[in-house]
Amino acid sequence: MLAIARSELIQIFRNRLVLVTSLIMPVAVSAFFIYRHEAFATLGSLGYIAGVVMVTVGAFGLYTSTVTTLASRRQNLFLKRLRSTAASDAGILAGLILPATALAVGQVTAILAVLAAVAGNPADVVLLAAAVTATLAMMIGLALATAGLTNSPEHAQVTTLPVSLGVIAVASWVGISGAGELTLLKRLLPGGAATELVLNAWNGGAALGDSLILLAPTAAWVVVAVALAARLFRWEPRR
Amino acid sequence: MSTPVIEVEKLTLRYGGYTAVRDLSLEVRAGELYALLGTNGAGKTSTLETVEGHRTPTSGTVRVFGRSPRDRAAVRPRTGIMLQESGFSPDLTVRESIRLIGALTRRADDAGRVLDIVGLTGKAGTVVAQLSGGEKRRLDFATAVYGNPELIFLDEPTTGLDIQSRDALWESVDRLRENGATIVLTTHYLEEAQQRADRIGLMHQSVLRREGTVGELTRTLPAVIRFRLSGATPALPLPATADSDGAVLVETFELQKDLHVLLGWAQDHAVELGDLSAGPTRLDDVFRTLSS
Repeated sequence: MLAIARSELIQIFRNRLVLVTSLIMPVAVSAFFIYRHEAFATLGSLGYIAGVVMVTVGAFGLYTSTVTTLASRRQNLFLKRLRSTAASDAGILAGLILPATALAVGQVTAILAVLAAVAGNPADVVLLAAAVTATLAMMIGLALATAGLTNSPEHAQVTTLPVSLGVIAVASWVGISGAGELTLLKRLLPGGAATELVLNAWNGGAALGDSLILLAPTAAWVVVAVALAARLFRWEPRR
Repeated sequence: MSTPVIEVEKLTLRYGGYTAVRDLSLEVRAGELYALLGTNGAGKTSTLETVEGHRTPTSGTVRVFGRSPRDRAAVRPRTGIMLQESGFSPDLTVRESIRLIGALTRRADDAGRVLDIVGLTGKAGTVVAQLSGGEKRRLDFATAVYGNPELIFLDEPTTGLDIQSRDALWESVDRLRENGATIVLTTHYLEEAQQRADRIGLMHQSVLRREGTVGELTRTLPAVIRFRLSGATPALPLPATADSDGAVLVETFELQKDLHVLLGWAQDHAVELGDLSAGPTRLDDVFRTLSS
Protein backbone atom coordinates (compact mmCIF):
# COMPACT_ATOMS: atom_id res chain seq x y z
CA MET A 1 0.00 0.00 0.00
CA LEU A 2 2.74 2.47 0.90
CA ALA A 3 4.61 1.80 -2.36
CA ILE A 4 1.44 2.66 -4.29
CA ALA A 5 0.82 5.74 -2.13
CA ARG A 6 4.37 6.94 -2.73
CA SER A 7 4.05 6.56 -6.51
CA GLU A 8 0.66 8.31 -6.39
CA LEU A 9 2.15 11.25 -4.54
CA ILE A 10 4.88 11.54 -7.19
CA GLN A 11 2.22 11.55 -9.90
CA ILE A 12 0.11 14.24 -8.17
CA PHE A 13 3.08 16.59 -8.06
CA ARG A 14 4.04 15.82 -11.69
CA ASN A 15 0.54 16.38 -13.07
CA ARG A 16 -0.18 20.12 -13.08
CA LEU A 17 -3.89 19.72 -13.80
CA VAL A 18 -4.40 17.56 -10.71
CA LEU A 19 -2.18 19.87 -8.67
CA VAL A 20 -4.27 22.92 -9.60
CA THR A 21 -7.61 21.17 -9.01
CA SER A 22 -6.74 19.45 -5.78
CA LEU A 23 -4.35 21.90 -4.12
CA ILE A 24 -4.38 25.41 -5.51
CA MET A 25 -8.09 25.91 -6.20
CA PRO A 26 -9.39 24.94 -2.71
CA VAL A 27 -6.62 26.98 -1.08
CA ALA A 28 -7.45 30.02 -3.23
CA VAL A 29 -11.17 29.81 -2.39
CA SER A 30 -10.39 29.34 1.30
CA ALA A 31 -7.94 32.24 1.28
CA PHE A 32 -10.69 34.50 -0.09
CA PHE A 33 -13.11 33.38 2.65
CA ILE A 34 -10.51 34.05 5.34
CA TYR A 35 -9.50 37.41 3.84
CA ARG A 36 -13.17 38.50 3.85
CA HIS A 37 -14.03 36.69 7.09
CA GLU A 38 -15.74 39.66 8.68
CA ALA A 39 -18.18 40.00 5.77
CA PHE A 40 -18.87 36.26 5.66
CA ALA A 41 -19.23 36.13 9.45
CA THR A 42 -21.90 38.82 9.16
CA LEU A 43 -23.64 36.85 6.41
CA GLY A 44 -23.50 33.62 8.40
CA SER A 45 -20.95 33.08 11.17
CA LEU A 46 -17.30 32.09 11.57
CA GLY A 47 -18.57 28.51 11.75
CA TYR A 48 -20.04 29.00 8.29
CA ILE A 49 -16.60 29.91 6.92
CA ALA A 50 -15.09 26.83 8.56
CA GLY A 51 -17.88 24.64 7.13
CA VAL A 52 -17.57 25.97 3.58
CA VAL A 53 -13.77 25.70 3.65
CA MET A 54 -13.96 22.09 4.86
CA VAL A 55 -16.51 21.10 2.24
CA THR A 56 -14.67 22.92 -0.57
CA VAL A 57 -11.43 21.08 0.19
CA GLY A 58 -13.41 17.83 0.49
CA ALA A 59 -15.20 18.43 -2.81
CA PHE A 60 -12.30 19.58 -4.97
CA GLY A 61 -9.15 18.52 -3.13
CA LEU A 62 -10.38 15.04 -2.29
CA TYR A 63 -13.58 14.00 -4.11
CA THR A 64 -12.93 15.39 -7.61
CA SER A 65 -9.24 14.53 -7.65
CA THR A 66 -9.93 10.98 -6.42
CA VAL A 67 -12.59 10.34 -9.08
CA THR A 68 -10.27 11.76 -11.77
CA THR A 69 -7.34 9.70 -10.52
CA LEU A 70 -9.27 6.42 -10.38
CA ALA A 71 -10.81 6.97 -13.83
CA SER A 72 -7.41 7.81 -15.29
CA ARG A 73 -5.66 4.82 -13.66
CA ARG A 74 -8.42 2.53 -14.92
CA GLN A 75 -8.41 3.98 -18.44
CA ASN A 76 -4.65 3.47 -18.93
CA LEU A 77 -4.90 -0.01 -17.35
CA PHE A 78 -2.71 0.95 -14.39
CA LEU A 79 -5.31 -0.58 -12.04
CA LYS A 80 -5.11 -3.84 -13.98
CA ARG A 81 -1.33 -3.67 -13.79
CA LEU A 82 -1.49 -3.24 -9.99
CA ARG A 83 -3.93 -6.17 -9.81
CA SER A 84 -1.35 -8.30 -11.64
CA THR A 85 0.78 -8.16 -8.49
CA ALA A 86 0.31 -9.63 -5.03
CA ALA A 87 -1.36 -6.43 -3.74
CA SER A 88 -4.94 -6.83 -2.52
CA ASP A 89 -7.82 -4.75 -3.91
CA ALA A 90 -8.20 -2.96 -0.58
CA GLY A 91 -4.46 -2.26 -0.45
CA ILE A 92 -4.50 -0.87 -4.01
CA LEU A 93 -7.44 1.45 -3.33
CA ALA A 94 -5.99 2.57 0.00
CA GLY A 95 -2.65 3.31 -1.67
CA LEU A 96 -4.31 5.30 -4.45
CA ILE A 97 -6.51 7.33 -2.07
CA LEU A 98 -4.05 7.90 0.78
CA PRO A 99 -2.01 10.80 -0.72
CA ALA A 100 -5.07 12.87 -1.72
CA THR A 101 -6.61 12.18 1.70
CA ALA A 102 -3.43 13.18 3.54
CA LEU A 103 -3.17 16.36 1.44
CA ALA A 104 -6.85 17.18 2.11
CA VAL A 105 -6.41 16.65 5.88
CA GLY A 106 -3.31 18.83 5.81
CA GLN A 107 -5.09 21.53 3.81
CA VAL A 108 -8.17 21.64 6.05
CA THR A 109 -6.01 21.67 9.17
CA ALA A 110 -3.79 24.46 7.88
CA ILE A 111 -6.66 26.58 6.57
CA LEU A 112 -8.70 26.24 9.78
CA ALA A 113 -5.58 27.02 11.83
CA VAL A 114 -5.14 30.24 9.84
CA LEU A 115 -8.84 31.07 10.31
CA ALA A 116 -8.46 30.49 14.07
CA ALA A 117 -5.36 32.68 14.19
CA VAL A 118 -7.07 35.47 12.27
CA ALA A 119 -10.60 35.31 13.69
CA GLY A 120 -10.37 33.43 17.00
CA ASN A 121 -10.31 29.79 18.15
CA PRO A 122 -13.18 27.33 17.69
CA ALA A 123 -15.30 26.43 20.75
CA ASP A 124 -14.69 22.67 20.51
CA VAL A 125 -11.64 21.43 18.58
CA VAL A 126 -12.41 17.72 19.13
CA LEU A 127 -15.91 18.10 17.73
CA LEU A 128 -14.48 20.03 14.79
CA ALA A 129 -12.00 17.22 14.13
CA ALA A 130 -14.85 14.68 14.23
CA ALA A 131 -16.81 16.75 11.70
CA VAL A 132 -13.81 17.00 9.36
CA THR A 133 -13.09 13.26 9.63
CA ALA A 134 -16.71 12.30 8.93
CA THR A 135 -16.93 14.69 5.96
CA LEU A 136 -13.72 13.47 4.34
CA ALA A 137 -14.80 9.83 4.85
CA MET A 138 -18.09 10.65 3.11
CA MET A 139 -16.28 12.30 0.21
CA ILE A 140 -14.01 9.24 -0.23
CA GLY A 141 -17.03 6.93 -0.29
CA LEU A 142 -18.83 9.15 -2.81
CA ALA A 143 -15.65 9.32 -4.91
CA LEU A 144 -15.42 5.51 -5.11
CA ALA A 145 -19.08 5.30 -6.15
CA THR A 146 -18.76 8.11 -8.72
CA ALA A 147 -15.58 6.55 -10.15
CA GLY A 148 -17.71 3.51 -11.05
CA LEU A 149 -19.84 5.75 -13.29
CA THR A 150 -16.89 7.64 -14.79
CA ASN A 151 -15.22 6.31 -17.94
CA SER A 152 -12.31 8.74 -18.26
CA PRO A 153 -10.63 11.73 -16.57
CA GLU A 154 -12.46 13.98 -19.07
CA HIS A 155 -15.77 12.35 -18.14
CA ALA A 156 -14.96 13.08 -14.46
CA GLN A 157 -15.29 16.80 -15.17
CA VAL A 158 -19.01 16.13 -15.72
CA THR A 159 -19.76 13.26 -13.35
CA THR A 160 -18.25 15.02 -10.31
CA LEU A 161 -20.26 18.24 -10.71
CA PRO A 162 -23.53 17.15 -9.03
CA VAL A 163 -21.82 16.04 -5.80
CA SER A 164 -19.07 18.70 -5.64
CA LEU A 165 -21.34 21.65 -6.36
CA GLY A 166 -24.20 20.04 -4.41
CA VAL A 167 -22.29 19.66 -1.12
CA ILE A 168 -20.92 23.22 -1.38
CA ALA A 169 -24.45 24.54 -2.02
CA VAL A 170 -25.82 22.56 0.93
CA ALA A 171 -22.98 23.79 3.18
CA SER A 172 -23.66 27.40 2.16
CA TRP A 173 -27.41 26.96 2.69
CA VAL A 174 -26.98 25.44 6.16
CA GLY A 175 -24.15 27.83 7.06
CA ILE A 176 -26.05 30.98 6.14
CA SER A 177 -29.62 30.08 7.11
CA GLY A 178 -28.81 27.73 10.02
CA ALA A 179 -30.67 24.50 10.70
CA GLY A 180 -33.75 26.09 12.27
CA GLU A 181 -36.00 25.63 9.24
CA LEU A 182 -36.35 22.49 7.13
CA THR A 183 -34.07 20.87 9.69
CA LEU A 184 -34.63 17.26 8.64
CA LEU A 185 -34.04 17.96 4.94
CA LYS A 186 -30.86 19.93 5.65
CA ARG A 187 -29.51 17.17 7.89
CA LEU A 188 -30.28 14.42 5.40
CA LEU A 189 -28.64 16.12 2.43
CA PRO A 190 -24.93 15.20 1.97
CA GLY A 191 -22.77 17.71 3.82
CA GLY A 192 -25.73 19.27 5.65
CA ALA A 193 -25.34 17.56 9.02
CA ALA A 194 -21.54 17.86 8.81
CA THR A 195 -21.79 21.60 8.23
CA GLU A 196 -24.22 21.98 11.17
CA LEU A 197 -21.71 20.06 13.29
CA VAL A 198 -18.95 22.46 12.25
CA LEU A 199 -21.20 25.43 13.10
CA ASN A 200 -21.77 23.97 16.58
CA ALA A 201 -18.07 23.13 17.02
CA TRP A 202 -16.82 26.55 15.95
CA ASN A 203 -19.55 28.85 17.29
CA GLY A 204 -20.33 26.84 20.44
CA GLY A 205 -23.60 27.02 22.36
CA ALA A 206 -25.03 23.61 21.40
CA ALA A 207 -25.28 20.62 23.76
CA LEU A 208 -22.68 17.90 23.04
CA GLY A 209 -25.36 15.20 22.70
CA ASP A 210 -27.28 17.27 20.12
CA SER A 211 -24.06 17.75 18.15
CA LEU A 212 -22.90 14.13 18.26
CA ILE A 213 -26.17 12.91 16.80
CA LEU A 214 -25.30 14.94 13.70
CA LEU A 215 -22.55 12.42 12.94
CA ALA A 216 -25.19 9.78 12.17
CA PRO A 217 -26.44 11.20 8.80
CA THR A 218 -22.85 11.65 7.58
CA ALA A 219 -21.99 8.10 8.68
CA ALA A 220 -25.11 6.89 6.84
CA TRP A 221 -23.85 8.62 3.67
CA VAL A 222 -20.53 6.80 4.08
CA VAL A 223 -22.36 3.46 4.29
CA VAL A 224 -24.57 4.27 1.27
CA ALA A 225 -21.59 5.48 -0.78
CA VAL A 226 -19.48 2.41 0.05
CA ALA A 227 -22.41 0.09 -0.80
CA LEU A 228 -22.85 1.90 -4.12
CA ALA A 229 -19.10 1.71 -4.77
CA ALA A 230 -19.13 -2.04 -4.15
CA ARG A 231 -21.76 -2.37 -6.89
CA LEU A 232 -20.48 0.24 -9.33
CA PHE A 233 -16.69 0.27 -9.09
CA ARG A 234 -14.85 -1.27 -12.05
CA TRP A 235 -11.16 -2.18 -12.25
CA GLU A 236 -10.95 -2.25 -16.03
CA PRO A 237 -12.50 -0.22 -18.85
CA ARG A 238 -15.77 -1.58 -20.20
CA ARG A 239 -15.22 -4.28 -22.84
CA MET B 1 5.71 -36.68 -15.60
CA SER B 2 6.30 -33.38 -13.77
CA THR B 3 3.73 -31.69 -11.54
CA PRO B 4 1.01 -29.58 -13.14
CA VAL B 5 1.52 -25.90 -12.41
CA ILE B 6 -1.75 -24.94 -14.10
CA GLU B 7 -4.89 -27.09 -14.15
CA VAL B 8 -7.93 -25.87 -16.07
CA GLU B 9 -11.05 -28.00 -16.12
CA LYS B 10 -14.14 -27.33 -18.22
CA LEU B 11 -13.62 -23.57 -18.16
CA THR B 12 -16.41 -21.46 -19.61
CA LEU B 13 -16.27 -17.67 -19.57
CA ARG B 14 -19.15 -15.47 -20.70
CA TYR B 15 -19.39 -11.69 -21.05
CA GLY B 16 -23.13 -11.05 -20.95
CA GLY B 17 -24.54 -13.12 -23.82
CA TYR B 18 -21.15 -13.67 -25.50
CA THR B 19 -19.22 -16.84 -24.75
CA ALA B 20 -15.50 -16.03 -24.90
CA VAL B 21 -14.28 -19.47 -23.77
CA ARG B 22 -16.25 -22.70 -23.92
CA ASP B 23 -15.61 -25.88 -21.96
CA LEU B 24 -11.82 -25.59 -22.09
CA SER B 25 -9.56 -28.01 -20.23
CA LEU B 26 -5.78 -27.96 -20.23
CA GLU B 27 -2.77 -28.63 -18.05
CA VAL B 28 0.63 -26.96 -18.02
CA ARG B 29 3.45 -28.84 -16.34
CA ALA B 30 6.42 -27.45 -14.43
CA GLY B 31 9.24 -26.26 -16.70
CA GLU B 32 7.09 -26.41 -19.81
CA LEU B 33 6.63 -23.66 -22.43
CA TYR B 34 2.97 -23.88 -23.41
CA ALA B 35 1.80 -21.71 -26.32
CA LEU B 36 -1.85 -20.85 -26.67
CA LEU B 37 -2.53 -19.86 -30.27
CA GLY B 38 -5.64 -18.95 -32.15
CA THR B 39 -7.41 -16.70 -34.57
CA ASN B 40 -8.37 -13.14 -33.57
CA GLY B 41 -11.14 -13.27 -30.96
CA ALA B 42 -10.60 -17.02 -30.43
CA GLY B 43 -10.54 -16.58 -26.64
CA LYS B 44 -6.77 -16.77 -25.98
CA THR B 45 -6.48 -13.63 -23.88
CA SER B 46 -9.74 -14.37 -22.03
CA THR B 47 -8.37 -17.82 -21.17
CA LEU B 48 -5.01 -16.40 -20.16
CA GLU B 49 -6.55 -13.65 -18.02
CA THR B 50 -8.77 -16.18 -16.25
CA VAL B 51 -5.76 -18.35 -15.49
CA GLU B 52 -3.90 -15.23 -14.31
CA GLY B 53 -6.80 -14.46 -11.95
CA HIS B 54 -8.07 -11.31 -13.67
CA ARG B 55 -11.41 -12.92 -14.57
CA THR B 56 -13.79 -15.16 -12.68
CA PRO B 57 -14.87 -18.28 -14.61
CA THR B 58 -18.56 -18.49 -15.41
CA SER B 59 -18.17 -22.24 -14.80
CA GLY B 60 -15.34 -24.74 -14.46
CA THR B 61 -12.24 -24.59 -12.29
CA VAL B 62 -8.78 -23.08 -12.61
CA ARG B 63 -5.93 -23.98 -10.26
CA VAL B 64 -2.45 -22.43 -10.29
CA PHE B 65 0.12 -24.04 -7.98
CA GLY B 66 -2.89 -25.97 -6.62
CA ARG B 67 -4.72 -22.80 -5.56
CA SER B 68 -7.28 -20.43 -7.01
CA PRO B 69 -5.46 -17.84 -9.14
CA ARG B 70 -7.57 -15.19 -7.41
CA ASP B 71 -5.69 -15.96 -4.20
CA ARG B 72 -3.18 -13.24 -5.09
CA ALA B 73 -1.26 -13.29 -1.84
CA ALA B 74 -0.38 -16.97 -2.39
CA VAL B 75 -0.04 -17.18 -6.18
CA ARG B 76 1.33 -13.83 -7.39
CA PRO B 77 4.67 -13.86 -5.58
CA ARG B 78 5.43 -16.96 -7.71
CA THR B 79 3.96 -15.53 -10.92
CA GLY B 80 5.11 -12.90 -13.43
CA ILE B 81 2.55 -11.41 -15.79
CA MET B 82 3.20 -9.57 -19.05
CA LEU B 83 -0.12 -8.09 -20.09
CA GLN B 84 -1.17 -7.60 -23.71
CA GLU B 85 -1.41 -3.84 -23.11
CA SER B 86 1.15 -2.10 -20.96
CA GLY B 87 -0.82 -0.32 -18.20
CA PHE B 88 1.93 1.87 -16.80
CA SER B 89 1.42 5.33 -15.41
CA PRO B 90 2.67 7.85 -17.99
CA ASP B 91 3.94 10.20 -15.25
CA LEU B 92 6.28 7.67 -13.59
CA THR B 93 9.80 7.02 -14.81
CA VAL B 94 10.95 3.60 -15.99
CA ARG B 95 12.92 3.09 -12.76
CA GLU B 96 9.97 4.16 -10.58
CA SER B 97 7.62 1.87 -12.50
CA ILE B 98 9.82 -1.19 -12.16
CA ARG B 99 10.46 -0.47 -8.47
CA LEU B 100 6.75 -0.06 -7.77
CA ILE B 101 5.63 -3.22 -9.54
CA GLY B 102 8.68 -5.09 -8.25
CA ALA B 103 7.85 -4.16 -4.65
CA LEU B 104 4.25 -5.28 -5.12
CA THR B 105 5.25 -8.69 -6.52
CA ARG B 106 6.93 -9.41 -3.15
CA ARG B 107 9.95 -10.90 -4.92
CA ALA B 108 13.46 -9.67 -4.25
CA ASP B 109 15.46 -8.33 -7.17
CA ASP B 110 17.43 -5.33 -8.33
CA ALA B 111 15.67 -2.89 -10.68
CA GLY B 112 19.00 -2.11 -12.37
CA ARG B 113 19.62 -5.79 -13.18
CA VAL B 114 16.18 -6.24 -14.72
CA LEU B 115 16.42 -3.02 -16.75
CA ASP B 116 19.79 -4.19 -18.02
CA ILE B 117 18.24 -7.47 -19.22
CA VAL B 118 15.69 -5.61 -21.33
CA GLY B 119 18.12 -2.93 -22.50
CA LEU B 120 16.38 -0.04 -20.78
CA THR B 121 19.20 1.05 -18.45
CA GLY B 122 19.68 4.22 -20.51
CA LYS B 123 15.98 5.04 -20.17
CA ALA B 124 15.75 4.51 -16.41
CA GLY B 125 15.06 8.18 -15.72
CA THR B 126 12.65 8.67 -18.64
CA VAL B 127 8.92 8.97 -17.92
CA VAL B 128 6.82 6.21 -19.47
CA ALA B 129 4.90 8.74 -21.61
CA GLN B 130 8.09 9.30 -23.60
CA LEU B 131 8.78 5.61 -24.35
CA SER B 132 8.11 4.05 -27.74
CA GLY B 133 5.67 1.15 -28.05
CA GLY B 134 8.52 -1.36 -28.19
CA GLU B 135 10.19 0.13 -25.10
CA LYS B 136 6.92 -0.14 -23.19
CA ARG B 137 6.71 -3.83 -24.14
CA ARG B 138 10.26 -4.31 -22.86
CA LEU B 139 9.36 -2.58 -19.59
CA ASP B 140 6.35 -4.86 -19.37
CA PHE B 141 8.60 -7.89 -19.84
CA ALA B 142 10.95 -6.52 -17.17
CA THR B 143 8.12 -6.42 -14.61
CA ALA B 144 7.11 -9.99 -15.53
CA VAL B 145 10.60 -11.41 -14.96
CA TYR B 146 11.40 -9.27 -11.88
CA GLY B 147 12.63 -11.61 -9.16
CA ASN B 148 12.75 -14.68 -11.46
CA PRO B 149 9.21 -16.03 -10.88
CA GLU B 150 8.44 -19.74 -11.25
CA LEU B 151 5.56 -19.13 -13.68
CA ILE B 152 5.49 -16.41 -16.34
CA PHE B 153 2.57 -15.40 -18.54
CA LEU B 154 3.58 -13.71 -21.78
CA ASP B 155 0.65 -12.26 -23.72
CA GLU B 156 1.84 -11.28 -27.22
CA PRO B 157 5.32 -10.50 -25.82
CA THR B 158 7.06 -9.62 -29.09
CA THR B 159 4.36 -7.51 -30.73
CA GLY B 160 5.92 -4.16 -31.67
CA LEU B 161 9.49 -5.28 -30.94
CA ASP B 162 12.30 -5.02 -33.48
CA ILE B 163 14.29 -8.14 -34.36
CA GLN B 164 17.10 -7.31 -31.94
CA SER B 165 14.74 -6.79 -29.00
CA ARG B 166 12.82 -9.92 -29.96
CA ASP B 167 16.00 -12.02 -29.93
CA ALA B 168 17.04 -10.51 -26.59
CA LEU B 169 13.64 -11.31 -25.10
CA TRP B 170 13.80 -14.93 -26.21
CA GLU B 171 17.34 -15.23 -24.85
CA SER B 172 16.01 -14.07 -21.47
CA VAL B 173 13.17 -16.57 -21.68
CA ASP B 174 15.67 -19.34 -22.48
CA ARG B 175 17.71 -18.41 -19.39
CA LEU B 176 14.59 -18.42 -17.21
CA ARG B 177 13.68 -21.84 -18.58
CA GLU B 178 17.15 -23.16 -17.81
CA ASN B 179 16.38 -22.19 -14.22
CA GLY B 180 13.15 -24.18 -14.35
CA ALA B 181 10.57 -21.47 -15.07
CA THR B 182 7.24 -22.44 -16.61
CA ILE B 183 6.07 -20.19 -19.45
CA VAL B 184 2.60 -19.67 -20.86
CA LEU B 185 2.67 -17.78 -24.13
CA THR B 186 0.22 -16.32 -26.60
CA THR B 187 1.56 -14.97 -29.86
CA HIS B 188 0.59 -14.17 -33.43
CA TYR B 189 4.07 -15.16 -34.61
CA LEU B 190 3.58 -18.86 -35.29
CA GLU B 191 7.26 -19.46 -36.01
CA GLU B 192 8.09 -18.39 -32.43
CA ALA B 193 5.67 -20.98 -31.06
CA GLN B 194 6.88 -23.62 -33.52
CA GLN B 195 10.51 -23.07 -32.51
CA ARG B 196 10.09 -22.77 -28.76
CA ALA B 197 6.90 -24.36 -27.45
CA ASP B 198 6.96 -27.79 -25.82
CA ARG B 199 3.23 -28.02 -26.40
CA ILE B 200 0.72 -25.90 -28.25
CA GLY B 201 -3.01 -25.37 -27.77
CA LEU B 202 -4.93 -24.13 -30.81
CA MET B 203 -8.10 -22.16 -30.12
CA HIS B 204 -10.80 -21.23 -32.59
CA GLN B 205 -14.18 -19.65 -31.87
CA SER B 206 -13.87 -19.95 -28.07
CA VAL B 207 -12.93 -23.64 -28.15
CA LEU B 208 -9.58 -25.39 -27.70
CA ARG B 209 -9.63 -27.36 -30.96
CA ARG B 210 -6.24 -29.11 -30.90
CA GLU B 211 -3.42 -29.62 -28.44
CA GLY B 212 -0.03 -31.31 -28.60
CA THR B 213 3.61 -30.96 -29.57
CA VAL B 214 4.47 -29.38 -32.91
CA GLY B 215 5.11 -32.89 -34.28
CA GLU B 216 1.78 -34.19 -33.06
CA LEU B 217 -0.10 -31.25 -34.55
CA THR B 218 1.61 -31.22 -37.94
CA ARG B 219 1.46 -35.00 -38.30
CA THR B 220 -2.28 -34.76 -38.89
CA LEU B 221 -1.79 -32.88 -42.18
CA PRO B 222 0.07 -34.02 -45.32
CA ALA B 223 3.32 -32.40 -46.47
CA VAL B 224 3.26 -30.90 -49.97
CA ILE B 225 5.60 -31.36 -52.95
CA ARG B 226 5.18 -28.57 -55.49
CA PHE B 227 6.64 -28.28 -58.99
CA ARG B 228 5.89 -27.13 -62.53
CA LEU B 229 5.81 -29.20 -65.72
CA SER B 230 6.24 -27.92 -69.23
CA GLY B 231 5.12 -29.69 -72.37
CA ALA B 232 3.69 -33.20 -72.64
CA THR B 233 4.85 -35.62 -69.93
CA PRO B 234 4.09 -39.25 -69.10
CA ALA B 235 1.55 -39.95 -66.34
CA LEU B 236 2.76 -38.94 -62.87
CA PRO B 237 3.68 -41.79 -60.51
CA LEU B 238 1.67 -40.21 -57.63
CA PRO B 239 -1.81 -38.69 -57.24
CA ALA B 240 -1.57 -34.93 -57.80
CA THR B 241 -3.66 -31.79 -58.07
CA ALA B 242 -2.96 -28.35 -59.53
CA ASP B 243 -2.96 -25.05 -57.66
CA SER B 244 -4.34 -21.76 -58.98
CA ASP B 245 -0.96 -20.89 -60.58
CA GLY B 246 -0.94 -24.11 -62.58
CA ALA B 247 1.75 -25.73 -60.41
CA VAL B 248 1.44 -29.43 -59.59
CA LEU B 249 0.81 -30.34 -55.93
CA VAL B 250 1.46 -33.76 -54.44
CA GLU B 251 0.21 -34.21 -50.88
CA THR B 252 1.95 -36.89 -48.86
CA PHE B 253 2.30 -38.30 -45.37
CA GLU B 254 5.57 -39.99 -46.47
CA LEU B 255 7.56 -37.07 -47.80
CA GLN B 256 10.95 -38.76 -48.19
CA LYS B 257 9.62 -41.89 -49.88
CA ASP B 258 7.32 -40.07 -52.31
CA LEU B 259 9.95 -37.46 -53.15
CA HIS B 260 12.30 -40.29 -54.02
CA VAL B 261 9.64 -41.86 -56.28
CA LEU B 262 9.00 -38.53 -58.00
CA LEU B 263 12.68 -37.75 -58.59
CA GLY B 264 13.22 -41.28 -59.97
CA TRP B 265 10.32 -40.84 -62.37
CA ALA B 266 11.68 -37.47 -63.54
CA GLN B 267 15.12 -39.01 -64.06
CA ASP B 268 13.77 -41.98 -66.00
CA HIS B 269 11.67 -39.83 -68.32
CA ALA B 270 14.07 -36.87 -68.59
CA VAL B 271 11.40 -34.55 -67.18
CA GLU B 272 12.40 -31.29 -65.57
CA LEU B 273 10.56 -30.47 -62.31
CA GLY B 274 10.53 -26.66 -62.46
CA ASP B 275 10.50 -24.61 -59.21
CA LEU B 276 10.56 -27.85 -57.21
CA SER B 277 9.90 -27.38 -53.50
CA ALA B 278 9.07 -29.80 -50.74
CA GLY B 279 8.83 -29.37 -47.01
CA PRO B 280 7.24 -30.76 -43.88
CA THR B 281 3.87 -29.49 -42.74
CA ARG B 282 4.17 -26.20 -40.89
CA LEU B 283 2.15 -24.94 -37.97
CA ASP B 284 0.74 -22.29 -40.31
CA ASP B 285 -0.88 -25.06 -42.36
CA VAL B 286 -2.49 -26.58 -39.27
CA PHE B 287 -3.63 -23.12 -38.25
CA ARG B 288 -5.15 -22.42 -41.68
CA THR B 289 -7.02 -25.72 -41.65
CA LEU B 290 -8.40 -24.86 -38.25
CA SER B 291 -9.72 -21.45 -39.25
CA SER B 292 -10.89 -22.30 -42.77
